[in-house]
Amino acid sequence: MSGPTSASGVAAGGGPAGSIYDIGYRRYEGTRLGRGHAIRSLFVHSLRSSYGLGRGGRAKIAPIILGILALLPAVAIVAALTLFAQFGGGSEFNDRVPIRYDTYAGTISTLVVLFCAAQAPELFGRDQRHGVLALYFARALRRSDYTLARIGGFMVAVLILELLPQVILFLGRVLLTTDIPKAIGDDLKFVGPVVAQSVLAAGLFGGVSMVVSAFTPRRAYAVAGIIALFTIPNVVAGIVVGLGSSTIGTWLTLVSPTSILDGTNAFLFDTRLGSDFFFVDLPGIAFVAAAGVGIVGSIAIALRRFARIAT
Amino acid sequence: MALISIRNLTKRYGSSVTALDELSVDIEPGIVGLVGSNGAGKSTLLKVLLGLLAPTSGDASVLDLDVRTRGTDIRQRVGYMPEHDCLPPDASATDFVSHMALISGLPRTAARERTAEVLRHVGLYEERYRAIGGYSTGMKQRVKLAQALVHDPRLLLLDEPTNGLDPTGRDEMLELIHRIGSEFGIAIIVATHLLGEIERVGSHLVAIEGGRLLRSAPLHEFVEQTGTLAVEVDEGAGILAERLAADGLAIALDGRAVLVDISDERPYDLVRDAVADLGLPLVRIERRRHRLEDLFRDATPGAPPVPAAGPVDPVATEGPP
Repeated sequence: MSGPTSASGVAAGGGPAGSIYDIGYRRYEGTRLGRGHAIRSLFVHSLRSSYGLGRGGRAKIAPIILGILALLPAVAIVAALTLFAQFGGGSEFNDRVPIRYDTYAGTISTLVVLFCAAQAPELFGRDQRHGVLALYFARALRRSDYTLARIGGFMVAVLILELLPQVILFLGRVLLTTDIPKAIGDDLKFVGPVVAQSVLAAGLFGGVSMVVSAFTPRRAYAVAGIIALFTIPNVVAGIVVGLGSSTIGTWLTLVSPTSILDGTNAFLFDTRLGSDFFFVDLPGIAFVAAAGVGIVGSIAIALRRFARIAT
Repeated sequence: MALISIRNLTKRYGSSVTALDELSVDIEPGIVGLVGSNGAGKSTLLKVLLGLLAPTSGDASVLDLDVRTRGTDIRQRVGYMPEHDCLPPDASATDFVSHMALISGLPRTAARERTAEVLRHVGLYEERYRAIGGYSTGMKQRVKLAQALVHDPRLLLLDEPTNGLDPTGRDEMLELIHRIGSEFGIAIIVATHLLGEIERVGSHLVAIEGGRLLRSAPLHEFVEQTGTLAVEVDEGAGILAERLAADGLAIALDGRAVLVDISDERPYDLVRDAVADLGLPLVRIERRRHRLEDLFRDATPGAPPVPAAGPVDPVATEGPP
């Protein structure tokens, strides 16, 4: 017998020994929270699951490695700044480092894409694949609640991946100078663009990868689909622009999530687009609009998908 | 007031498939078997009762809540165990069931406590910390039951809870259902195509076929009226059937066996006399375990009898009305 052997534990009548102990059923008389609690719980669950928390050890490998890699440039720069400051360097290094607020999103965008490709299928395909949706929908949760809580949790997870390194960068830059208030004042003007760019990137990368995953419960196909969607339009646009057809290239740029985010980044930080390939003749606000359409559109498509899916 | 009240409920998928057809029945608390063959409309009925599928016409209420308008309230008070797989393989039973408890509206601490209790009640101990992917079918069925029970529902809807279980697992699951219904004081509806299982744990039976109500009655009435005597002969089953039909018995053919309806004592003598008079090679006479097919054949006169092996003489089936 492996079960508990409390004095009051009596084996259930007729049952095989050791299987069920009858120590009485207690009714639940406590608080019952409603839909809002269910939505919040699912949101938190989605956020945690995106980083593999509450799942097996293997589920943590990819998000943690990608998270560390995304932090690496910020940590390296802060370390370099520390060394430089110790040897009495001035601000010239600070001004010339390649890793800055306006380049960070672009620097780690490949990692963010990989994060989405690895985690979105888990979050939006797993419940379909294993039939768990039937259990969610048999509770107070509505289909739209489920969808929005899952999307919200995932987008916030991507947002953390985008923002956390830049917070470290900010702290490093500010705390390592002699004149902290002035440094804060210098860097404060970047806070708006950094947050805006991170929100757009999290929304667009998160939204698009979520839509692909929602329609392809098979994990491998979803991963391939997400990576293809984030790379192929980009490459095609580059080739087309390179061949001289800038009109088609311009439109292709607006369907490529990575190009859109390059454009919003240039617009928000008021820099020129880094590559000539993507210097397309569009006002910066067009990229922001394209990102907005992409985010809202992907949420709408996902809502529709989960409203119709059979359980 | 009835636990569940269903009035002229019809559910059509598209314009051609009718899953539920003018179904009317009241269900009282207890352990109620919802029996019907595959495709009879059991799962559809459960989903309509949960407010997940809108009825095409007619009305239904669960715990006095209208399924059309109060679906959310119903689902907070009802636990549902689906027929198919519904568990994520990489979560442990503890994590998954407590997550479902949160989604059901329990605060975090209560969710943890209820999870531990419920998993113990369904008989999962050390293994509850391991990933569900490595569980046996029996353990998975227990987790499915636990997640339906974790928020202490007033009503449990179980869809084929013994699906895929071996005889031992089946016995344990049925015993568990019986305990939940009788000791925990939770009303249960068990949808199944196995009448024998309901006989062991249920108190009331609702039989549906083709989306229509066949009968709703306390279990013992079903058993009394569906008793059959199987008379198996090496040859001459057809002759025997004709003779017994001429004697005024309700009979049916099943391969080499003649199934005789035994609502009273009369058939025993008639069978003995008929076999002796005709000089047939009698193999055995046994009281059949009541199978759902018998029930349906009896209840739907004119319907084709169960597929029988070997040549079958067409013999009129005269079931009770």
